[in-house]
Amino acid sequence: MSGQEAPKKKVSDMKRLWGMSIDLDKCTGCGACQVACSQENNMPIFEDDSDLPKRVVFLDLMKVTNEMDKGAKFGDVKVAYLPKMCMQCAGNDPDNPYPPCVSVCPVVATDIGDDGVVSQIWSRCIGCRYCQASCPYEARVFHWWKPVYEGSFKEGLNPDVSVSSRGAVVKCTFCSHIWKRERDRMIAKGITDINAVQYTPSCVSSCPTGAMKFGDLKDPRSPVYEEKLRRDPRAVRLVHSIDELRDTNPAEYDRRMKIKQFPNPKVWYLTGSEWLRKKLSVFEKS
Amino acid sequence: MEKLERREVIMMAGGALAGATVGTLFSGAPFLGLQWLVEWTQDQFVPAPGEEKYLQGRCLLCPSACALLVRMIGNRAVKVETANTGCYKPQLAIQMLYHPERIKNPLKRIGKKGSGKFAPVSWEEAIKDIAAKIDGLRSSGNATRIAAVSGSAAFASGEILKRLVRASGSPNVYSEPCLNTLSAAATRLTQGQSGSIYYDFENADFILSFGARLVEGWGDPGRMNKALVGWKERKARYVQIDTACTRSASMADRWVPVNAGTETVLALGIANQLIAMGRRSGGANFAQWSQIVINDYAPERVAEITGVGVDAIREIAREFASARNPIAVAGRGASAVSSSTVEFAAVQALNSLAGSLGRRGGVLLVDYAGLGEVAVNAAGARGLDDFIKNGAADLIFINEANPVHRSVYGKAFAEKLKKDTMVVALLPLLNDSAAYADYVLPTISPIEGEPVGPRFRAMHPVDALLAIAKAVKGLESAFPWTGRKDVFSLIGRQNVKAAGNFTFPVELFKAYLAEFSKKIGDKNYPLALLPIEAPMVGDGDGLALPYVLKGLDSVTLTGAKLWVMMNPETAKREGVSEGSRIDIESARGEIGSVKVHITKTIAPGAVAIPIGFGHEFYTRYAEDKGVNAKEIMSDDIDPISGAADWWFTRVKIS
Amino acid sequence: MKNFIELLRNEWNSYSKNTQIALYVLFGLSALFVIFAIQILFWGLGYTDMNNNFAMGLWIIGDLGLVALGGGAFFTGFLLYILRVDKLNPLINSTVLLGFMCYLFTFILLVFDIGQPLRAWFGYAYPNWGPGLLPISMLTEVVWCLTLYFCVLCVELIPIPLKHKIMDNIPFFRYFGHYLHKLMWIMAAVGTFLSFFHQGSLGGGMWGVLYGKPVWFRPHYFFLAIVAATAGGTAFMMLIPKIAGKIMKKEVAPKETFMTLARISGVMFVFYLIFRLYDLYSLTVKYVPLADRSYADILGGYYGWWVVIAELLLCLVPIVVFNVAKLREREKYYMAGLIAGVSAISMSKVEAVLHGFSVPNFPWKGFTVYNPTIQEWFIFLGSLAIMTLVYMWFARYLPLFPHLHKGGHGDNKAHT
Repeated sequence: MSGQEAPKKKVSDMKRLWGMSIDLDKCTGCGACQVACSQENNMPIFEDDSDLPKRVVFLDLMKVTNEMDKGAKFGDVKVAYLPKMCMQCAGNDPDNPYPPCVSVCPVVATDIGDDGVVSQIWSRCIGCRYCQASCPYEARVFHWWKPVYEGSFKEGLNPDVSVSSRGAVVKCTFCSHIWKRERDRMIAKGITDINAVQYTPSCVSSCPTGAMKFGDLKDPRSPVYEEKLRRDPRAVRLVHSIDELRDTNPAEYDRRMKIKQFPNPKVWYLTGSEWLRKKLSVFEKS
Repeated sequence: MEKLERREVIMMAGGALAGATVGTLFSGAPFLGLQWLVEWTQDQFVPAPGEEKYLQGRCLLCPSACALLVRMIGNRAVKVETANTGCYKPQLAIQMLYHPERIKNPLKRIGKKGSGKFAPVSWEEAIKDIAAKIDGLRSSGNATRIAAVSGSAAFASGEILKRLVRASGSPNVYSEPCLNTLSAAATRLTQGQSGSIYYDFENADFILSFGARLVEGWGDPGRMNKALVGWKERKARYVQIDTACTRSASMADRWVPVNAGTETVLALGIANQLIAMGRRSGGANFAQWSQIVINDYAPERVAEITGVGVDAIREIAREFASARNPIAVAGRGASAVSSSTVEFAAVQALNSLAGSLGRRGGVLLVDYAGLGEVAVNAAGARGLDDFIKNGAADLIFINEANPVHRSVYGKAFAEKLKKDTMVVALLPLLNDSAAYADYVLPTISPIEGEPVGPRFRAMHPVDALLAIAKAVKGLESAFPWTGRKDVFSLIGRQNVKAAGNFTFPVELFKAYLAEFSKKIGDKNYPLALLPIEAPMVGDGDGLALPYVLKGLDSVTLTGAKLWVMMNPETAKREGVSEGSRIDIESARGEIGSVKVHITKTIAPGAVAIPIGFGHEFYTRYAEDKGVNAKEIMSDDIDPISGAADWWFTRVKIS
Repeated sequence: MKNFIELLRNEWNSYSKNTQIALYVLFGLSALFVIFAIQILFWGLGYTDMNNNFAMGLWIIGDLGLVALGGGAFFTGFLLYILRVDKLNPLINSTVLLGFMCYLFTFILLVFDIGQPLRAWFGYAYPNWGPGLLPISMLTEVVWCLTLYFCVLCVELIPIPLKHKIMDNIPFFRYFGHYLHKLMWIMAAVGTFLSFFHQGSLGGGMWGVLYGKPVWFRPHYFFLAIVAATAGGTAFMMLIPKIAGKIMKKEVAPKETFMTLARISGVMFVFYLIFRLYDLYSLTVKYVPLADRSYADILGGYYGWWVVIAELLLCLVPIVVFNVAKLREREKYYMAGLIAGVSAISMSKVEAVLHGFSVPNFPWKGFTVYNPTIQEWFIFLGSLAIMTLVYMWFARYLPLFPHLHKGGHGDNKAHT
């Protein structure tokens, strides 16, 4: 989805691999990211949107507690909020490094770009929801009902993001329309090296505590430099303990980094709380 | 030309048909047709394009006035950019700006009061009528029968309204209870000064919060967000005393779970330990107060009441005493704050014992620059709830407020508004209180006017009130300003000042504690009702905005049913299970049919209920969703602040 | 016109009371199918109980079940035409019809299931083939295989109506039918190949692409699904004619045809059980732990343990019955074996879909439940009703069971 319309040569020195880190120790769960995302990405507006499993939001502010753990009791339990969007998985299979959703799509409605963003073309999607089934992060949402934008709410719609129709799967794209917009603007000025200063997704730029950081995973100056994140003891990725294994069991880590079961997300969570690290990264018998 | 056989004609026609079919198929026309059918049948909306530009502005929702950018497409505002400052509120501005139920014209009541039926009138007519009412009341010597209620976020308009009412000769100016007004009442009592309590969060290194949900929208949320990041960086220690496992409790370095409503007692218990460590306060009446604390609030007894262990009390006291810049924070709640003056005093006593009062990194006082006082020769009620209960008026202004929904006396207030009283509401959306208005004056949403142009015939409330003031006879000299710009330049500046000498309100303590023991021992109502706030819903204002509703989790609101939370122990004792429908009853009444969510994040012996729900009038997005817990919450009016302290209510369920 | 109505009335009156009741029910279900079909196609999938968490439901269970059971057609065709098990010939028409309808309704249910039925052709126009020869998305591959195999089934089906006495008198159709029949072994070979492919893909395992979810991923799932189809499909291909025979009170095919197929099915069920046990073992010790979870934990919830155990127990019935000559000769045991076999394979699809989706993706979430709405139920049941009606129509008016015509028209001295 990226870099295909602009001339290749000109954009070659802006090759980026976008990633995100979210410091949960700084996240107050205020909801700014979720509203900013909904506003930017034209989320539908219903009178009653309380049917949570059918709700259309790209960024889901999940409430996480450890109350189901063994021996948990009032006084010890904790809650945290988890802004959860598309993890923009890179895939981990050495032969076929595709995100789980991209390879299942029958009609090429979704693809991963060389900037690492997993795209989705609303108007190409036939609504088979196989990608939803394949996504281990529940990041994709389906328009079960016709998206409604009542009356003057239409005025606030963003023309950069097309409004989806009923019966299509939609998802977070790291606001890649902003990336395209800013990139084109920079190229017009003759600047071919853009970084996250010019392009940040809506949720990241709205975060009041700066808990969310965005940038190029390969750029050492970026706040989300991948090599640094890998060594960060606070860093975890959702639902897999693979990042912990790096220090505790390097052999197993190497082995797992070569198998396909790990979707290899590009969104990292940072937390110093032991319970939250555990909760996010591993399943334990409850 | 040979004669064609019938057979050949059929063959040719058939061939042509087949060719045409194949040709059409391969041309792709049927598929394009299908694609068109998809679009046509689904009536997909395409946002209008336009030239992109960014407008600079300020968020005027609180005194921080954070800078923001509004992204415009043509003349449509599509996004507010805040660049990692402030809080979540500016993000909702677009939703408010383009809300389909915004009031477009000034409205005049046509139906019965409370029916919510209005007809449009012109601004001129509305202003003339309102001004005539003020003139009439003034000339008949009934000026004191003018009253005004401003919302806690109405800064500039609150100032103008205050001036209008006072200049007309009435002292009855009220603000919906909030941290500033409640702490100001406490300051008046204990320090004899005007101004609200100002906690120096930026420089404190030990923050002991008595149920103040500091990171969830408390106080000035933009400032608190920054302060929180500062604590993490400076390694300041944050201890949260809370009755539920809130995000504040989890983000704190230590969470001290406490029984519902016992924060004041815990403060006295900690004071007991500080005194035992040799800490003294120079405040007046310290001797008498310390006698009460030493005799009645030994750690063992406090532990019994509050549920906080003796060791924990000692430890907190020790940590508090040994910190360099400790502060103890009062004002329970996140966006809805309710605390008694005694509680503020008890917590301030700790600051006094620690020597934090009036110093950098401690607790100071703050004033906001206003338009100057206008002297009035009449005594008004103390606070809003006191006014609702005891006051009377012939003209009531409701300015960006919703006391009918928000006050525990909401029902009583609605009755008052229904009477032969002229009610003028200044609001962008019709709410529960405005439904009882005679005139509803449409005001603009936060980013409107500046930098985005106003919609409809809405006005900034300051401009609307100035227009009314100018139409009243004999007030010209009190309002020399032409528009809101003149007013903005004068008000809002923070003036932080040192606190005065502390006085211990001993008699008040005694009365409060006597009442408290009675309440806590009530066997008829074995459970405590804990108010909790859902993200962005606040005290109910957020519910009109659909993107706020999108953020609610699965155990807050389902359809129109509200969920309450209970500890598994409590649920077992009460015989309810996940998803049970229950009614909650307090001494004041009953609210019906809420669903139970069982969770260990709530203290045993308590029912936690989200507040801000159950609106009767407040756009189709908020109406008839859930129940309004305030209806049954405790209505004891604090003798100093005049506001009901509804935080702690005893209930039973059925 | 009047004559035609008269004809219909006479026809209707010739049916027995029970048949009439059954037809009322089936037509009723078909009518409800149409009503709810309109609702779903025009107003969308909001009326189902599927959601972002439970992205697929009853219809996909139906799809997987129909494909697996309809897969019996390819296997029977394979046995008859390629391996030359000629004893199966009397059942082949019924088998082809069942396969045809299973696949037809797989398509129909898929069209209901996708959110954009009008874009269904995108699967052909923009297939996700990827850079290589083999498609990347198994759904692409399923759509293509299903379509092609459906075409094959059409070709296999055409000779049946052509054998009808009216059609058979027209020389063109007779020769056409005859030559189609000659081609049948090629069709069978192609069908086997195609069906073989998509059986596995529907299981989600072909290229191991459904790797994000520990409930589903194991590389051998492809083969497991094929074995399931051969075992359950053959049982299904016996069950339906057997029921038809019971209703018509006729022997629709020679007993040894049934017994031959039963022996084959029995062996396939043995393979299936062994394979499935290995499958469970490999999930427990290998694949699920790779996703930081334990299979025992995953198997909780509303459709966990009991579904798997039920499936395994149901599997045992055909294994015992079909492989022991004495048991399979006994009509009651034989029927029990057929029903249990078909149920076992259906159960495995229930396990894959219902249980697969009910497993929480995050440690702080619980297992979820799915209650199909009436729309889902009636579209599903309506599909089955229409299939039944079509089968009944074929059985009554077309030479679905050549044995009946050979063996002296309705020789109802068959054993009962």
